[in-house]
Amino acid sequence: MAHAIEATGLEREFKGGIKAVAGVDLQVSEGEIFGFLGPNGAGKSTIVRILTTLLRPTGGTAKVAGHDVVREAPAVRRRIGVALQDAAIDPFMTGRELLHLQSVLHGISRHDGRARAQALLEQVELTDAADRRVGTYSGGMRRRLDLALSLVHEPVVLFLDEPTTGLDPHSRLTVWNEVRRLNRELGTTVFLTTQYLEEADQLAGRIAIIDSGRIVARGTPAELKASVGEPALTVTLAQPEQRESAEAALAQLGAALPGSSRTVGIRMPAGAAGLAPAVRALDEAGIAVAKLDLAEPSLDDVFLANTGRSLHGDDEDDASS
Amino acid sequence: MLRQTGALAWRSVVTTLRIPQAWFPSLFFPLALLAIFTASFSNAPGRVPGFPPVRGFLDFAVAGSVLQGVLIAGTGAGAAFAADMETGFFDRLVASPVSRWAILTGRLGASVAQGVVQGLLFLGIAVAFGARVEGGLAGLLILALFAALLAAAIGGIGVILALRTGSGEAVQGTFPLFFVLLFFSSAFFPRETMTGWYKTIADANPISHIVEGMHAQVIDGGQTRTTLVGLAFALGFAVLSVGVSAITYRRRLATQGA
Repeated sequence: MAHAIEATGLEREFKGGIKAVAGVDLQVSEGEIFGFLGPNGAGKSTIVRILTTLLRPTGGTAKVAGHDVVREAPAVRRRIGVALQDAAIDPFMTGRELLHLQSVLHGISRHDGRARAQALLEQVELTDAADRRVGTYSGGMRRRLDLALSLVHEPVVLFLDEPTTGLDPHSRLTVWNEVRRLNRELGTTVFLTTQYLEEADQLAGRIAIIDSGRIVARGTPAELKASVGEPALTVTLAQPEQRESAEAALAQLGAALPGSSRTVGIRMPAGAAGLAPAVRALDEAGIAVAKLDLAEPSLDDVFLANTGRSLHGDDEDDASS
Repeated sequence: MLRQTGALAWRSVVTTLRIPQAWFPSLFFPLALLAIFTASFSNAPGRVPGFPPVRGFLDFAVAGSVLQGVLIAGTGAGAAFAADMETGFFDRLVASPVSRWAILTGRLGASVAQGVVQGLLFLGIAVAFGARVEGGLAGLLILALFAALLAAAIGGIGVILALRTGSGEAVQGTFPLFFVLLFFSSAFFPRETMTGWYKTIADANPISHIVEGMHAQVIDGGQTRTTLVGLAFALGFAVLSVGVSAITYRRRLATQGA
């Protein structure tokens, strides 16, 4: 399958020798939703700016939609849609006016531009607010308008830089649904950066984890989770005195994990598929079970395993919210 | 590119009109100053030694007001350009297949439109209060041309400052400098009435020559030579400023990679 995005040895060094991007290779297939996960300052936005022709790389090459981002920048620009992190929206114009302006800038005829604006406003649920100035919009509405603006010319590759950072749950869902719909119905390739594990897990078919300008892990969410460890089953006992027989019943199913006086834990490489045998074994041994927990490793565990840090560990805002 | 320039200029005009803080000062201050000066110095012509023959001070001062309005509008255009860079609107434009130049010409085009409309408005108000444009319709057109050239020139400086500093506040902050230049010129008093170092500065100040070209059309209607010299200065100023802004702009895009 052809690559929608292909980068080799991408580097960007800023004045003072700081390497925001230090040798990144990327292959994103056509029609894929690719998640780029990393903390603030990891280099996500710099890579997006390079891939969207806003910033020249100081090393390496990148092709987007089949065109080199430096030598064939205009061709790239015609094929990409960009919604950058700071929603770049004029507060003194209305949503509809901005969509019309964006259409003109993409060389779409006035008539087509109007129809397109109306359709996009409906898709991102902004018809009621279409003729209000953007200054009166909530953060979520702005982000949805931003998304609509990036779609005016039906791009082949869509770049979303932290599309839902700071959004309310409803707006986040609207954005997610729209991204899924675009990908499903139009086959739009989506390159999405996020600080949210849940977002990457929900949307992306494949994920790369970036830290300090380097990709530290990549794969499908399932592969990444599997790479850090197996799911664990924890059984909470109704009668703590049955602990030893419970341990014996489960021993054949997986390696024991340390538990408390009321719980027994084992590793369960098979994941949910291992549940039925476990329940059967417990039942046959006549053990009364209060609670069963199957814990899958999260992407947070993946991040921790690859960087030695928690994704939001030093982010006080997120910790407190 | 023309359609893109038009669309971007339209957007600049619309957003300016919707922010009263953006257009109100450029209308209000020159008019207020004009009213104060005219009231205070109505007797200056004929009494102050060296003041050339003129029907009234209003006739003399209106050109300076047009210039002043253009100065405020031009710095406003620069500040708006900086704001576009700060908010990321500029990035959105640069990441779309918009002609690089339409982004610049759209902004300057809006600045020119504002300068011309405002200049004609000031002249209209002055005429309503008894001033007379001796140059007639041709004179008005020439004055509009002056306003257009100056708006492009000042808008260009605003854009240069915006590109260099990246901050709307910094652009606005340079505004008093322009004002000083304006007052150290023959905008509100003829050079004939000046003496000493003040006269030396006013003589060297290109704004003096520009504004005298404008005076000629209001007060006299003739003086083709003064008008042409003024226009030449205005044109040179505009070409220089727009040219440097274009170079600065291209360099900025090149270092970014766009």
